Amino acid sequence: MILLKMAVRELMAHKKRSLITLFLSAFSTGLFIFANAISDGSHKQLIRSSIEIYPGYMQVSNRDFEDNPSFENLIFDVAKVRAELEEIEGIAANAVRFEAFALYSAQEDAIGGMFAAIEPENEAKVSRLKSSLVEGEYLSEEDRGMIYLGAELAKRLHVGVGDSLAFISSAADYSFAADTLRVKGLFKTKLYEFDNSAGFVNKAYFDEVMQSENIATHIISPAEPSSIDALSARVQKKVGETLEVKNYKETLEDLILALEIDEIFGYITLGIFFIVIFFVIAIFAFLSVYARIRQIGVLRAIGTTPSQVVGMLLIEALLLGLLSVGIGGAGGAYASAHYEKSPIVLSSWGDVEIEEYYKQYNMVAEPMLYAEYNPAKISLEMALMLLLNLLTVLYPIVVINRFSPTEAIRYV
Amino acid sequence: MKTLFLLLLLSLALCAVTAEEIITKVEHNLQSESGYAEITMVVTTARGERTMKMQSWNRGNEKSFIKILYPLKDRGITFLKIETTMWQYVPTIERTIKIPSSMMMQSWMGSDFTNDDMAKESSIVEDYHARLSAEDEANYTLTLLPKEEAAVVWGKIVLEVEKKEFVPLSAVYYDEDDLAQRILYYSEVKVFGSHHLPTVMTLVPLNKEGNKTVVIMDAVQFDIEIDDARFSKSALKRYSR
Repeated sequence: MILLKMAVRELMAHKKRSLITLFLSAFSTGLFIFANAISDGSHKQLIRSSIEIYPGYMQVSNRDFEDNPSFENLIFDVAKVRAELEEIEGIAANAVRFEAFALYSAQEDAIGGMFAAIEPENEAKVSRLKSSLVEGEYLSEEDRGMIYLGAELAKRLHVGVGDSLAFISSAADYSFAADTLRVKGLFKTKLYEFDNSAGFVNKAYFDEVMQSENIATHIISPAEPSSIDALSARVQKKVGETLEVKNYKETLEDLILALEIDEIFGYITLGIFFIVIFFVIAIFAFLSVYARIRQIGVLRAIGTTPSQVVGMLLIEALLLGLLSVGIGGAGGAYASAHYEKSPIVLSSWGDVEIEEYYKQYNMVAEPMLYAEYNPAKISLEMALMLLLNLLTVLYPIVVINRFSPTEAIRYV
Repeated sequence: MKTLFLLLLLSLALCAVTAEEIITKVEHNLQSESGYAEITMVVTTARGERTMKMQSWNRGNEKSFIKILYPLKDRGITFLKIETTMWQYVPTIERTIKIPSSMMMQSWMGSDFTNDDMAKESSIVEDYHARLSAEDEANYTLTLLPKEEAAVVWGKIVLEVEKKEFVPLSAVYYDEDDLAQRILYYSEVKVFGSHHLPTVMTLVPLNKEGNKTVVIMDAVQFDIEIDDARFSKSALKRYSR
């Protein structure tokens, strides 16, 4: 108890020194927590957007389709696969797609792109296509000869909502397919390449012109990321070996790998940051303790034992650490929670450059930084910072305890 | 004796046929200043067979015009090729569409031939260096490697040519990694004047099991009069009917 009183008195007696240490440690703690929250939040948001814009959490396709995406490797009995999917617990919805290539033409010049069929209502449950509408209307189940077109592709074709364009393609039976379409709506998904090359029509209409009834390239289902591996395995068992079930961890493998590498670099940066903080606080702690050598010499001379000195200094560090980590942690946690709800908008920092960067790397153009508020992780980070605070005083304590009381009293 | 030996060497050199000469003779057999053909194309895939019938007009290697006659739903689709540019007219949508260069490797009418095959069929002599790589009693084997500046898709073509009349027997197409991608077989040679023409061509893609496209020349006329108007963009619609 007496050690605690002495420690508190010491901290109060040297307010300026205590405040500087407190500020340094609190600021570092807050920054550490917030930097981690931004890194985790942005990565998770990027993955979520990449999945939900179009690829979907889980897809079923012909086993050979990925290696050889020809019309020989399609799902040829969609109704059967769909019925099997509906029997599986955990599959809330499914949407059938047929992706083909077509030449789009509004004038004489034609542009190649993806010509895909979707089931408008089901698609809205598995992707953000519907919510990506920027002009006109989304497709309906009754539409015939209407196309929902990427805004960038529409720009290249010089068409807008209500305009007509033609497509030519190979039908599912390899016969020639062509028709005139009217633009019903334009979408912008933030994925530039996708907006620049894709058009969607109702599957029922597509089946008429592309001879693709009960045929599809993919069936997409939503799933909880936490249980997706187990669900994928159950679906694979149900649909059989001729079909392949892939979840986003496989379809977006490259992106996830890139983000993992980015995360490693992030941790290296944070590690350097951590070391710098450690040394800044350590130097300050060292100077603070050294300034008190004579005082400690007097304490030792009047009978204070070395372990009591260690205890007193550790209590001082603990008190300062708890206070600073508490303040910094609260600040970091508040900032994380705030920017999770209201992300930092980067566009105001240079709209054009950021957009060009995303286009160049074909990434989801979301110029916003999301934080992730994760109380468990924040608590762990606060504990780490507290430990760091305690570690910084260990060396000065060891050094100071090597002095005999007389040496310490005479120390200048 | 020495003079006799030199004369023998000289006569052998004069008899030897160069790769360029072989290619030129092959091209003479396959092409003419102008021509007309009625063609049946049978596309076989693992899921079935589809037959198309068409008429084709050509002027040299630079200009050609194709009109689809069958199946009825595709009747009247026309194609015009001038040098390496290709247009297509589709009567059901009443549009003429220029095939963009980015789509040249796409399938032509669902067959194993690509748009590029249709548009660049004349460029073998211009785009490839020919080398006589093997020879036996009956055949020559030529290896065609792309010229540095040539915008071609194949890394190598190995052409087998029959010695007697310089009729092509097969052509193996390799990609840039030197992997064989498809084989074109020539058969059913018929004589049209000075042309020895294989009237059946079978294209087998090696990466699509069960697929092949057979082109059968039902009727062929070489060196005929063709109206210039046939090779204009307006002809696409006019001759579509």
